Amino acid sequence: MTTAPAIRRPGSPSPPGGREGRPAVRARRARLPLALTAAGFLVAAVLALPLAFLLIEAHGAGTSAVLHLIFRRLSADLLWNTVRLTVVVTALCAVIGTAAAWCVERTNLPGRRVWAVLVVVPLAIPDFVVSFGWASLWTWVQGFRGAVVVMTLAVYPLVYLPVAASLRGSDPGQEEVARSLGVGRVRTFFRITLGQARGAVLGGCLLVALVLLAEYGAFEILGYQTFTTEIFTEFNVSFSIPAACALSLVLVLLSLLVLAGEGMLHGRGRVSRSGPLAARQMPPHRLGRATLPVLAGFGLLSGLALGVPVGASAYWMFERSAQSIGGVSLPAAAAHTGLYAASAGALDTAAALPIALLAVRHSGRLRRFLERSTYLVLAMPGVIIAFALSYFAERYGGGFLYQTAPLLVICYSIMFFPLALVGVKASLARAPASLDEMARSLGQRRLAVLWRVTLRLAGPGLVAAFCLVFLSVVTELTATLLLIPTGMATLSTQFWAYEQNLSYGQAAPFALVMIAVAALPSYVLGRFFDRDAHPRGDTVHARG
Amino acid sequence: MTQLVVTGLHKAFGDHPVLTGVDLDVPAGSLTAILGPSGSGKTTLLRVLAGFERADAGTVTIGRSVVDGPDVHLAPERRRIGYVPQEGSLFPHLTVADNVGFGLPARQRRKAAAPLLAAVGLADLGKRYPHQLSGGQQQRVALARALAIRPHIVLLDEPFASLDAHLRASVRQDVQGLLARSGITGILVTHDQDEALSTADRVAVLRDGRIAQCDAPQDLYDRPADADIARFIGEANLIEGTLDSDTVDTILGRLKIEPACLASPAPGPDSPSFARSGPATVLIRPEQLEVLAAETPLRPLAGDRRAATPQELAGRVVAYGYHGHDAVIHVRPEHDRDAPTIIVRTLGGRQLPPGSPVTLRARGPVLAWPHA
Repeated sequence: MTTAPAIRRPGSPSPPGGREGRPAVRARRARLPLALTAAGFLVAAVLALPLAFLLIEAHGAGTSAVLHLIFRRLSADLLWNTVRLTVVVTALCAVIGTAAAWCVERTNLPGRRVWAVLVVVPLAIPDFVVSFGWASLWTWVQGFRGAVVVMTLAVYPLVYLPVAASLRGSDPGQEEVARSLGVGRVRTFFRITLGQARGAVLGGCLLVALVLLAEYGAFEILGYQTFTTEIFTEFNVSFSIPAACALSLVLVLLSLLVLAGEGMLHGRGRVSRSGPLAARQMPPHRLGRATLPVLAGFGLLSGLALGVPVGASAYWMFERSAQSIGGVSLPAAAAHTGLYAASAGALDTAAALPIALLAVRHSGRLRRFLERSTYLVLAMPGVIIAFALSYFAERYGGGFLYQTAPLLVICYSIMFFPLALVGVKASLARAPASLDEMARSLGQRRLAVLWRVTLRLAGPGLVAAFCLVFLSVVTELTATLLLIPTGMATLSTQFWAYEQNLSYGQAAPFALVMIAVAALPSYVLGRFFDRDAHPRGDTVHARG
Repeated sequence: MTQLVVTGLHKAFGDHPVLTGVDLDVPAGSLTAILGPSGSGKTTLLRVLAGFERADAGTVTIGRSVVDGPDVHLAPERRRIGYVPQEGSLFPHLTVADNVGFGLPARQRRKAAAPLLAAVGLADLGKRYPHQLSGGQQQRVALARALAIRPHIVLLDEPFASLDAHLRASVRQDVQGLLARSGITGILVTHDQDEALSTADRVAVLRDGRIAQCDAPQDLYDRPADADIARFIGEANLIEGTLDSDTVDTILGRLKIEPACLASPAPGPDSPSFARSGPATVLIRPEQLEVLAAETPLRPLAGDRRAATPQELAGRVVAYGYHGHDAVIHVRPEHDRDAPTIIVRTLGGRQLPPGSPVTLRARGPVLAWPHA
């Protein structure tokens, strides 16, 4: 501590350098956000690489050539296939997801706790495994029909989860008020309940649409042609880069349209609550005579979504056919999968930290823009990211990193960055800056604060973010097929190899392992993030 | 016992100035309240004192060391200042006892928590977690935690705002007693005048980013530096009058001015010998007025009202608020329907429904500010 010079008394002559009566004001900027901002820009730049590559290549091929490739007869078919599937499946998922969420959250359905879990678990099953399960058992599961059935059952939890969370956290008092104002039960449901959950429904539909646009494996098994399957074929089979590029541009545009559409539909209304956060629980609606039909519905849904894929895999595993083809063993494939997934998880969590810290702790216009720009990755299906990275590593990177594991890990990290960002932001929300300041005021140095407070509080969330990416990598197929180093295999690629050769018996164990690895942690993660959104008991601001 | 001196403190966020030259002198061992409306920069001031923000200009001196100045900024962890924020900010992942002992070296942690918790009246709650406590209990744990590190100074940011009304008084007393017994200098920030006047040894009014006045509560109330502060602290009747050496002529007659406390409107580098005559604003506190017996007949009010009963003012009751222990009456002067109502505070008893005629008389010397 420095000792003070003679203390200036008010009214004494002002210090030199300032105008009379006005001390020189000097701004002292903190240095930390600068380092974070630089790191954030670096991450955002890497995330923008695939799109940049795409545009460079398209420009290189010549605008007229690209346009010619886009406006082909094939494109019209692909567009029709893609759009009609997206619309139908999104609508179905919206209905199923919302109805299931309402029944579980707001009614007295028997066995609610169990149904809540069973309804969500199908999300952990990779879409191509679901498709395999259905297609291997019944031959009518093909084309548009098959795609609708398979994808609806595979991704409806994407709508269920946010809507359920929204219903759990929203104010049931608004429904009571509506009823007291004379609005009937059905109209209350549509205008008030759904109105509150509107944002969640739209968000879920957005995710469903993006998943559909990016799906490859499931459609390939069903013989359903979309942009994504065509891009894969053009790149991996025909090596026709300009065609793949052209189609990618259209796909990215479609995705951006979906993103923009959701943003517009979301509107400006906010779901607000007045009054204390600890919600009064409203008594659940009585289903009465509808209980049995609803139970039957849930049973059917779980049976179809969960039972068929798992059952099919189990069936084929015990129904071993005589032939068997060579391939990487299960433990070896699992080891590779684990290694890639862990690397991508660690890389993503670390990369998300600067952007999340900027967004949460040092918010500002530039930093918000940085965060938003990373969400553009959502508009790029894995196939495009993989193809862009692979092609340019080969052509412009001088073969450096081409067909190597690091490139695959980088691709995973780019693809799943938004997931990691969401997780890391949620974890930082549990370690607010005010607690860090409090620890410093109690005499702890910065490092001690980080260890004793920040990491303790944010730690579980960071682990959750890691797990999110880990699980996504385990169940990823498309990009892996494009980028995996020759001779190596992951659980998904080996499964794919067996499946494409109709060697179902050998494919089944891989499917079951993937399901097992994904299912339990998914459940745990779901509970973790749910607790985050609606802290009930463990909040500091409890009122007596 | 440590003194705190702030000189010329400036702090702006972007191009939005919050503190524009704060000068504050907090004597060692005292409890000073900083009083100001919401948004006046009270929390910013505390955060600068604690070291979480760095001042744009000015100095902060604790004891004999400058902790914030042109070339110096002492990190918060080295200032030994206890900070109790509005929300308590207990660490949710630690028990109450661990929270209290957080700032201490590991060896002392276990032993230090128990006596401190007992001192704030929460002896048996050491093993609980913060979310299991009520708001008032959390606040007291936060205080114990801040005191555990034996700070030079304790900063309290609206510590009683989140408490129920009946808890507030007792917790306030506890805090006051605790600080006084340990001799720690305390700074309390609040927007509640009652709290400031009843708890602190000195009250500083923060206005427009500056300290407008800093005095003992009694002095602040009896001798506010200007009309705005008079209105801010307690109720005030501000009426016009004409100064004449040591008296002032008002609608309530000729009143004596507080001797040696003639306040000038704006202290400046060239303090004028203020005019001893001329128009002035006069402060009469509601409890300085008394309501005369209702039987006193009203004199006709034609012409010069002062001629009839020079020290009395006739009026009609506009509103009557009964508070049990006293009553607050709003009176409109009879002579001028457009004049602002006069607020009178009397001991309860006599019912005076709106419309009743009353006569008022002022007691005691008053404060007057000559017009500039």
